[in-house]
Amino acid sequence: MTESAFFTIAFALYAAAALLYLAFLFGKKSKWVKAAFIAASAGLALHTVALVLRTFHSGHAPFTNMYESMSFLAWASVLALIIIEMMFKIPKVGAYVMLFVIAIMALASSPLMPKEAAPLVPALQSYWLWLHVSVTLLGEAFFAVAFITSIMYLRAKDPEKKAKMDSVSYRCVSIGFPLFTLGGLIFGMVWAEKAWGTYWNWDPKEVWSLITWFVFALYLHTRIVMGWKGKRSAFIAILGFLAALFTFFGVNYLLSGLHSYV
Amino acid sequence: MKTIIRFFSSLKLAIALLILLVAASILGTLIPQGREAADYAVRYGRLAEPMVRLRLTDLFRSVWFLGLMGLFGLNIAVCTATRLGAKLRRTFRPKVENDPKSLAAGKVSARLRLDRSVAEAKETAIRALRASRYQVRVAEEPGTEGPSGTESAGADTGKAGGRIRIHLLGRKGTAGIFGADFVHLGLLVIIAGGIVTAAVGFRTDLGLNAGKTLDVPRAGFALRLDKFETERYADGSIKDWKSTLTVVEDGKDVRTEVIEVNHPLVHRGYSFYQSAWGLDWDNPDLTFWIERKDAPGTGRTSKIRVGEKTAFPEEGKKERSSGQRDDGGKETAADQPKKEAGMEWTVRRFFPDFVIGENNRPGTRSDQLNNPAALVEGWRGRRKVVEGWIFAAYPQVIRLRGEEAADWTIELRDAVAPEYSVIQASRDPGVSLIWIGCLLVMAGLFLAFYWPAREIRMTLQETEGPAAGTAGPGGTGRKRGSGRTEITAGGTASKSRDRFAVEFAGVTAALKE
Repeated sequence: MTESAFFTIAFALYAAAALLYLAFLFGKKSKWVKAAFIAASAGLALHTVALVLRTFHSGHAPFTNMYESMSFLAWASVLALIIIEMMFKIPKVGAYVMLFVIAIMALASSPLMPKEAAPLVPALQSYWLWLHVSVTLLGEAFFAVAFITSIMYLRAKDPEKKAKMDSVSYRCVSIGFPLFTLGGLIFGMVWAEKAWGTYWNWDPKEVWSLITWFVFALYLHTRIVMGWKGKRSAFIAILGFLAALFTFFGVNYLLSGLHSYV
Repeated sequence: MKTIIRFFSSLKLAIALLILLVAASILGTLIPQGREAADYAVRYGRLAEPMVRLRLTDLFRSVWFLGLMGLFGLNIAVCTATRLGAKLRRTFRPKVENDPKSLAAGKVSARLRLDRSVAEAKETAIRALRASRYQVRVAEEPGTEGPSGTESAGADTGKAGGRIRIHLLGRKGTAGIFGADFVHLGLLVIIAGGIVTAAVGFRTDLGLNAGKTLDVPRAGFALRLDKFETERYADGSIKDWKSTLTVVEDGKDVRTEVIEVNHPLVHRGYSFYQSAWGLDWDNPDLTFWIERKDAPGTGRTSKIRVGEKTAFPEEGKKERSSGQRDDGGKETAADQPKKEAGMEWTVRRFFPDFVIGENNRPGTRSDQLNNPAALVEGWRGRRKVVEGWIFAAYPQVIRLRGEEAADWTIELRDAVAPEYSVIQASRDPGVSLIWIGCLLVMAGLFLAFYWPAREIRMTLQETEGPAAGTAGPGGTGRKRGSGRTEITAGGTASKSRDRFAVEFAGVTAALKE
């Protein structure tokens, strides 16, 4: 089977997982959560196979164009969901995260995204491609879960559920923030120094990564030092993820700069 | 002075600065940076001038943005410094004596009695804490026989009542409380690195043709490009550029290395990066087709270099000579011997993308071969007999001048430029500071998020038995024995308090064994 076949089956399993999670949301039957979790895990496994096959075929890391990066972001988001669900036992988050994953997968498989694996331009031929992109996107996946739990916080009425969402959202940031710092900013600087001879160029993608970082720094300081919780924290986490999303998509389509390959 | 320190150590300032930095950075990505003034005039019209004056067009290097960054750094420094002293004191010279009342009032606390002597209970407690990998400090208040309780420790920590009291402080993961400080210190080191880069770092591009040697500015050694290759994929796209570089010190080759993108050469604090490449159109490899019109079939291709004369052997030269005499008819006796001189062609100028620029002067629009054109000249001895621009793309519009202009067909068939390599040389002592700062930031983040600092404090006190009724309502409802030692324990954790509460319960349970 080819990479795209695995991708498609993974996509279908994610869709099934989303439906099952939604069914749980409305029907409250815990067997659906189990089935959804299994579908999501199976999808993740097949998606992993698709990524590995693509790596073998192209001979390079599977995130060198928009299609590949989005596919990887979806993969990382499912992984983040599975980790968060195992840590906190919050099956209700699943439905929304899987909807986000499906949106990303749908965008990735839309005809707008060229799917051919192009040979690597010289600047990308480095193991830092693996480290920089994978760790950054993994961090952003946790920001995505934080975004979703923050929205769920804002929408929830039950104080117990609210408190849970608030704390899960913080835990997601506390995983995502170090990953994003390491992958996005630090590995990015190391690679920039190697490839371009300067660790920092004020390139739009760099600046937006810094903006994202500042927003989450704001989140952590207002929360830990000033004791902000709940609504205001949730808003900042939402803004932070939107900044991360803009770093990922917006910069490529709306601004031009050194990072124009992905 | 105090007000200034309070201002710079305030978190409100930090938050205001973060928001300002975010806003400024967004602005800096929405306005294209570092373009020509004319570009901005087209894009923003009348707003362009004030924008340039406010340095919004070079925002990240503007005084006001750097000022914001400076304030941010100062804020971090003052914040960290003012908190660090107290934290260090608490870590290295902690107060072990407890106030049992406030211990019992904490969220995680317990009160229990053991039927052992205080000394025995102390050993048990220390063992229990160590079993959970706590580091333990002990402070003992010797019993004062009298009822007065005038001991200073007693006055501090509640009513010792003259009986023996032992305080225990168990800690683990204490480094965790320094997480934020490491992050902040790292950021300061990174900012310092940025300042060093701006102040003394230097970068320059060296354009090198194969075989050329250039002195590296300020370095005291030179760099020679031995070979430059462009590797391509099967589809023609670029795979890699490789420059074979030799470091030359005092005229001697010191080392030779092949560099490529992502693999720089580092020598004596200087780094050399494969930064770009270009086509050297000043030294093109040009192929022409040349034929005498009156001798069809004698035409051939000829390579001619810019600025060099290349002989063009004419077959049937005699015929040609006579023919020309008939045509021209304006030769003088002085020209007679030169007539017999062989034809030599040369290229005076070449442009890959010919365009008539300002002042009607020819130039090139790009370094792409869009409209290659050469200014060629034909010479006989010291006399220029043909001259004119020829265009590879438009052989039919070529107009030659000169006395033999009508005699020749000359076409530009091929133009190839040798590739040259652009090597970026840089020396930046700031870089090592950046990496140190990054390490500190990551270590700090790890400590802050994943190194929970935990503290369990206990006070062991000799008691007279159950009749004394010292147990207050703050106890956790444990069954109180009729022991001789009363223990009050309390704990705090910087992270994951639920898990800490479980551990705390485990430690207090272990006391009773």
